[in-house]
Amino acid sequence: MAQSTLKGIPRALRGALDKVALWSRINSPWLVHFNSGSCNGCDIEILATLAPRYDLERFGVKLQGSPRHADVLICTGPVTRLARERLLRTYEQMPVPKFVVAVGSCSITGGAFHGCYNIVGDIGDVIPVDVYVPGCPPRPEAIIDGVVQLLTKLKGGAPAKAPEADARLGGGS
Amino acid sequence: MSVETDFLRIQGSVAPWVSGSRTAENRLDMDTSAERLVPAVTALRSLSWGYLSAITGFDSGTAAPSDGHIELLYHFCNGPAVATFRVKVPREDPSVPSIGPLVPSAVMYERELAETMGVKVAGLPKKRQFLSDDWPENVYPLRKDFTMESAAATREVGPAVGSEEAPGTFIIPIGPQHPALKEPGHFELAVDGEIVTHADIRLGYVHRGIEKGAEDRSWVHNIYLMERICGICSHIHATAYVLGVESLSGVAVPPRAQTVRTIFCEMERIHSHLLWLGVAAHQAGFDTLFMYSWRDRETIMDLLEELSGNRVNYSVNLLGGVKYDIDGKAADSVRRGLDFLERRTTHYLKIVTTDESFLRRTRGVGAITFDQANLLGTIGPTARASGVSRDLRVEAPYMAYRDFPVRPVLDSRCDLEARFVVRINELFESYRLIREMLDHMPAGELAVPAPRKVPEGEVISRVEAPRGELFYYIRSTGGVKPDRVKVRTPSLCNWAAVLSVAVGHKLADIPMIMVGIDPCFSCNDRSITLRRRGSAESWSWEDLRAYGISYYAGGGA
Amino acid sequence: MSVVLALVALVLFPGGLFVIFGSLAFEYADRKLVARFQNRVGPRWFQPLADLVKLLVKEEIVPVGVNRGLFNGLPLAALAASLTAALYVPMAGIAPAWGFRGDLVVTVYLLMMMTLCIGLAGANTQDRFSLIGSTRALTQLFSYEAPFLLALLGPSIAAGTWRISEVNGYAREHIWMIVTQPLGFLVALIGLMGKLELPPFDAPEAETEIVSGALTEYSGRGLAFFHLGRDVELLVGLTLISAFYLGGLGNPLHFILKTLVLLFVTAGLQSLFARLRIDQTVGLWWRAGAVLALVQLLLLIVLKILGVRL
Ligand code: SF4
Repeated sequence: MAQSTLKGIPRALRGALDKVALWSRINSPWLVHFNSGSCNGCDIEILATLAPRYDLERFGVKLQGSPRHADVLICTGPVTRLARERLLRTYEQMPVPKFVVAVGSCSITGGAFHGCYNIVGDIGDVIPVDVYVPGCPPRPEAIIDGVVQLLTKLKGGAPAKAPEADARLGGGS
Repeated sequence: MSVETDFLRIQGSVAPWVSGSRTAENRLDMDTSAERLVPAVTALRSLSWGYLSAITGFDSGTAAPSDGHIELLYHFCNGPAVATFRVKVPREDPSVPSIGPLVPSAVMYERELAETMGVKVAGLPKKRQFLSDDWPENVYPLRKDFTMESAAATREVGPAVGSEEAPGTFIIPIGPQHPALKEPGHFELAVDGEIVTHADIRLGYVHRGIEKGAEDRSWVHNIYLMERICGICSHIHATAYVLGVESLSGVAVPPRAQTVRTIFCEMERIHSHLLWLGVAAHQAGFDTLFMYSWRDRETIMDLLEELSGNRVNYSVNLLGGVKYDIDGKAADSVRRGLDFLERRTTHYLKIVTTDESFLRRTRGVGAITFDQANLLGTIGPTARASGVSRDLRVEAPYMAYRDFPVRPVLDSRCDLEARFVVRINELFESYRLIREMLDHMPAGELAVPAPRKVPEGEVISRVEAPRGELFYYIRSTGGVKPDRVKVRTPSLCNWAAVLSVAVGHKLADIPMIMVGIDPCFSCNDRSITLRRRGSAESWSWEDLRAYGISYYAGGGA
Repeated sequence: MSVVLALVALVLFPGGLFVIFGSLAFEYADRKLVARFQNRVGPRWFQPLADLVKLLVKEEIVPVGVNRGLFNGLPLAALAASLTAALYVPMAGIAPAWGFRGDLVVTVYLLMMMTLCIGLAGANTQDRFSLIGSTRALTQLFSYEAPFLLALLGPSIAAGTWRISEVNGYAREHIWMIVTQPLGFLVALIGLMGKLELPPFDAPEAETEIVSGALTEYSGRGLAFFHLGRDVELLVGLTLISAFYLGGLGNPLHFILKTLVLLFVTAGLQSLFARLRIDQTVGLWWRAGAVLALVQLLLLIVLKILGVRL
């Protein structure tokens, strides 16, 4: 995660700035939501996390409309033939650093829809996923936990890369 | 007028064009042929009886491509009665004329047939609409000889036949991941300044191929799958399915189980309407109302969780009964929850009918007149807000609605405000119903055994989902899996209405108008039964208008 | 010496850092209040800072087909303009850093820069959402800037000066002008909300209609500057209104109390109303806002001519 902004700055200072950048990133995850073929069950639970009972804004989470403004792509559903292209495009539109959280069983394996003719695969087949949240649908607490897992992972260093998925991205599977 | 006299009247007037007809309880089946279909439908329309509810196609052939035939079922509904024209076409060359000029809403269903069943419907626009551009030629997923391998192929895709921009207009794509839509769908609106001059819709982003998937799963496994057609109205899908299967296999479900099912149906309606209220308020920029209604919605979610252990897909139904009981203690907490919600709902009713800034966005906006609503086959709260009384719970009571009659909620103002008022008033009706059912819960068994194999036959199962009539056609050949499950979901019927009223409105009103029917994309897409992908190919508003059906733009493609 | 002072004024106080941190604090207060009104917990105190820093270190994607210079320059210009405006107002209740006859007019123009830059930025990115968003932003420019300006003229006519510090001084010695000119106060406050595109006047970035309005294509630094610029404007605007209408600002305590009360009111308005459609916004403003402000202005002038002491 090299930042172009930090080029040409002394080492020590750069370390400190990196820390600040990391801090800000952990405390300000903005989400963009993409439904690539879900049953809406997961989507309404994601929305529920923003409502007063769970209020994700407490942690700095904001739901954004444009992928350009977002840090985290929160995906639901298996990937349908038609949605695949759009999912890729949305992911590509996001500025780096960017992360992906896949919510729901069907985003992990295809779930209930496994084997249906219009499903090309799960989210991980199309874009690299950082955190999976299982459940059909997962409870709002579980979704929040997923986001927290992502942040914890960030604190521990660079997010895990999925090189194969990167290759697939290029190859367009 | 009774159903029987209606049927006699229909039989009388279509007699010259049908070769045989049978009646059963609330059903009239009339055999006709491709050539005589149009005059037969014309005769039926001249009686101004009912609306086209769905067109089902099924492949009776075997794996060999040349034998057998495809049967097309045109279901017209009026209250509890279903009149069906049956047309058999040879598998080799299945072609029928379009009934679009007579019944505008048919076009959407006909496209679906053309692309999933390979039926040639004469007179439809040539463009591919439901299938993706690269979907291989001559591969039809709902035919029996379909294999996953054949779908893996692709065909050459020409340059995208996008929306050609007419000079002076400005096209705004909305979706598929647009914040107005919690689910993907793709709209193209042409605007002139701020006024919408053209509206186009394409669905299919969440089409998963469930109807075909159902044919590969056992009768029991399918309950699980049907529940996941839509996560918002999951229980009603499963209910429609099990009611159909139970009636096919002649299982008598104990009254207590029916009542439990009904209570869940009503609780689901409450959660769905509250959810919609919040989303609609959000579209209006009224986030405070969104937050409050979603906070209160958690009450019903808690109750659902307390009763079933799940918040969203409750998995209540079994073939032959239900899994969960509602005992005295649970009933008490439901009552408490309802008391709280009733107070809140009174408050919401006051807000949506008196808040000036909110009324500016809803009063007189997006009106669908009684005639439009009637003609377009609008259903559910959208129809009821235009004064069209269509509610299966009232017209054809099923399950516990037989013992606990529903009072229909109507409004004749036709605009968005009426749609808010109708849905909120329905909440009160649901509270009342649930209380009554809890107070008079029949004693007895929760489930009876159901056979693993379902006897040969076909059944139509219609129930009232939160968004309107849900239509299931289930056909069994006596095996452990269904032969055909056809699902026509409520939102599909209502898109026509949206597109017809969108033109001429301000761009800023569009999200409100779209959301006014409480659209549910995941429902639509499974019933449209086709995928398409990537490049822009859509049925334009103009095409359709030329076709004499200005409302049914795009038929979900 | 004066050079040092000028530098301090520019970089530390009242300009530069002070304004930046002050405005972030205001954004926090605003978001927290709205969240509380919506029955939520709301953000933590450092949230706006974290958002800002995060945006600053994020990748800035420059879309193809845009004018790079404009794309990068507009956010800077917007921020610079609102920071400059901060120098002319009695920030924190302390006399403005700079001032001259007619600085009120300059300040109002500087406050307009923001909207102009957003409009241009949207037009520059050539994205359809952005274009519609910027048309709307510019439409609103005409609809609320005028009443806002007229509403600020009231107190200055009463005070007989175009100098912000003198109006402020006048306000402190006289009965609060919210009492003598209630209409002007209302128009000014709502005009400010319109300028800042706060709900219910946020049609230009009405998320559900056109994703994020004119700024759809901005991802990192540019977005950060626009956001910050808007926060600064909020601070400057609230300061101006409390200086003019709420009995002037004499010391930091005045400043904090009065601006916070105003913030409370705007947050309440934000949570109470549904978003207005753009034509309704314009109509409302021209019909009600401008007319009200004009009526009041005329009255003032007549009274002044008649020699009534205000
Ligand atoms: S995981 Fe379950 S609830 Fe979520 S989208 Fe898939 S089927 Fe629906």
